[in-house]
Amino acid sequence: MTKTFFGISVAAFMATLGIFTAGNASAAGPTCTDGKIVVGAVATETGPADFSEVTKAAKATFDKFNADGGINGCTIDFQTADDKADPAVAAQAARDIVENKGAVVMTGSASLLECAVNAGYYDKQGILSVHGLGVDPVCFNSPSISPVNVGPYTLTTAVLQYASSKLGAKKLCGIFWIVGGTDEAYKGAIARWEKISGQTFGMVDLTLPFQGDYTPYVLKARDEGCDAVVMNTVEPQIVQMVKTADSQNITGIKWMFLAPGYTVQVAKTLADTKQEIHVGTEWEPYTDAGSKANEGWNAAMTAAGLPLTAFTQGGYESADILINVIKSIDGPVTRETVTNALHNLQPVNHPLVGTPYTFGKAASHASSQGTKMVKLVNGAWQVETPDWFILPTE
Amino acid sequence: MLTSIIAGLAAGGAYALLAVCLVFTYRLVAVVNFTGAAIGATGTFAMVMVNELGYGLPIAVLFGLLSGMATAIIFGALIMRWFSGAAAQTKAAVTVALLVGMIALGLRLTGGQHPRAFPDLVPGAAFEVAGVIITKAALVSIALALAFTIGATLFLNKTRIGLQLRALSERPMTAELTGIPARRLSIGVWAVAGLATTLAMMIIAPQRAPNFLTFSMLVVPAFAAALIGSFRSFGLAFIGGIALGLLEGFAAGLSSLAQYRSAVPFLIILAVLLWSQRKARWDEAR
Repeated sequence: MTKTFFGISVAAFMATLGIFTAGNASAAGPTCTDGKIVVGAVATETGPADFSEVTKAAKATFDKFNADGGINGCTIDFQTADDKADPAVAAQAARDIVENKGAVVMTGSASLLECAVNAGYYDKQGILSVHGLGVDPVCFNSPSISPVNVGPYTLTTAVLQYASSKLGAKKLCGIFWIVGGTDEAYKGAIARWEKISGQTFGMVDLTLPFQGDYTPYVLKARDEGCDAVVMNTVEPQIVQMVKTADSQNITGIKWMFLAPGYTVQVAKTLADTKQEIHVGTEWEPYTDAGSKANEGWNAAMTAAGLPLTAFTQGGYESADILINVIKSIDGPVTRETVTNALHNLQPVNHPLVGTPYTFGKAASHASSQGTKMVKLVNGAWQVETPDWFILPTE
Repeated sequence: MLTSIIAGLAAGGAYALLAVCLVFTYRLVAVVNFTGAAIGATGTFAMVMVNELGYGLPIAVLFGLLSGMATAIIFGALIMRWFSGAAAQTKAAVTVALLVGMIALGLRLTGGQHPRAFPDLVPGAAFEVAGVIITKAALVSIALALAFTIGATLFLNKTRIGLQLRALSERPMTAELTGIPARRLSIGVWAVAGLATTLAMMIIAPQRAPNFLTFSMLVVPAFAAALIGSFRSFGLAFIGGIALGLLEGFAAGLSSLAQYRSAVPFLIILAVLLWSQRKARWDEAR
């Protein structure tokens, strides 16, 4: 934990203290029954995606907290469930964790569809989620969920803004792979960029298939005269698109990918590409060995034997924030008191993200509005923006 | 418009090659093989993993081909051992089950979403037409599909083993009673089909999303193409594969059609099924 973060947590602690001491003057710090505070998470661990690193990192962070003695004799009992990317399983898992296991808060969840399935349920139960990795649009559009990550939609806007304002791209295009009802969210992201930049978007194609030949799409971007193309696909499709562009001898297009493209394997696989590749990250770039901001997370993950990836950053950040929220509670830690503390949470500056984490009572949450851009250079990621590139408010 | 149609040629070559392999397995051992592409994917991933260990490309390719062939032989032996007397539907269902298992296992063993660097076996561009660069890999896959089409047709019609195999697939019991070495021949068919599919997959892999799932699901367009030839004609399956690729390219080029692009194989499967049943009466068609 860095000093600044600690300082802010203390400030947050003092602020919350002011709220709670009025009703409970004798208590100091959180208390609990049976010495346990149940925290839950629902994650997609098997099926089309594997986000288990997020919950593993959250668990490692809680384990460390418990090993250090917890607080006032209370330790965190972290209950996770795999939703298998199946809506019925996700709904069942959330109900089991909230009602049977008695979770007071959800933290470190990371799923393809959990928000869309469970946001309404969390609202009704009065439980909040410090989401570790929000993917579907509902994660960023619900009063009960506040993800620690930027998310694909805000990141689309940020990457576009970076291409137009810093890379000098004139004609911006987008090729999107649309899952479920995400098309409106991506259209919204483009509209937001148009509002911020005052420019109009070039070509948008919302029909990219998950599998199939990408040659027609690459040629379409070339023939439309796109300077920069933003794409929302995941690793294998990114590699395919870039290789297809190479085989068609495409030049002069800046390929802008979202966070899923930021992996060591993508960099290695595309080491000899001729294409210009930029990726927007959701957290402090994890491949940056010299980064001071990564020190706390790096030490925690290394001690727990977990990989240093963006996913573990999300799990670590959400758990780290929650631990400080729990520490700030004065009196019994229940669903009501944790919800109350999050509703009154002062913005938390966390070293892994560019803008402070917030919860509060807003109808929607997307507190992380900053990215650090990385560029592919000789099979490795090079940080382009040592300072956070933060989206201006419209 | 022409650009996007021609852009589909590379995909067409791949579909044609896989479709011809499917027809080959169906005609000779009477199995609708859903694992066709997954067998190729197994060999291709085996190749890239051996290559990553530091072995040269020739050794890696050889190892990959042998792995693909071995997988096919194991599946063939399995189906022959327990399902040789079963109906075609049962055998097809068995291969579906095998495919599901293979995808789950394959994704775990090959690193899931994380991509691997597939070496270009046939690197470079051949020529440019209508603003599309036709890669050598695309040409080779089309040529290979054509060679396999002609080879398979000749083999079935002109050779003694071909004749025996035809007998075996249509009247297995009778064929066995006349002294045809059923087991050996069937295993041979699986081996050849496995080898050819693996080779096809290795050539097209660099231009595809490098992931076990996407490779395995190439079987869907290949099925559509094989169905155009009613799972009998190698020539029609070949043409079907190429046409399907071009049609997908065409659909991707039209913005109003593009979102239905991945549905093209299914539409073709549906159209061919309806067409083939056009004269059937209700009771017969059931």
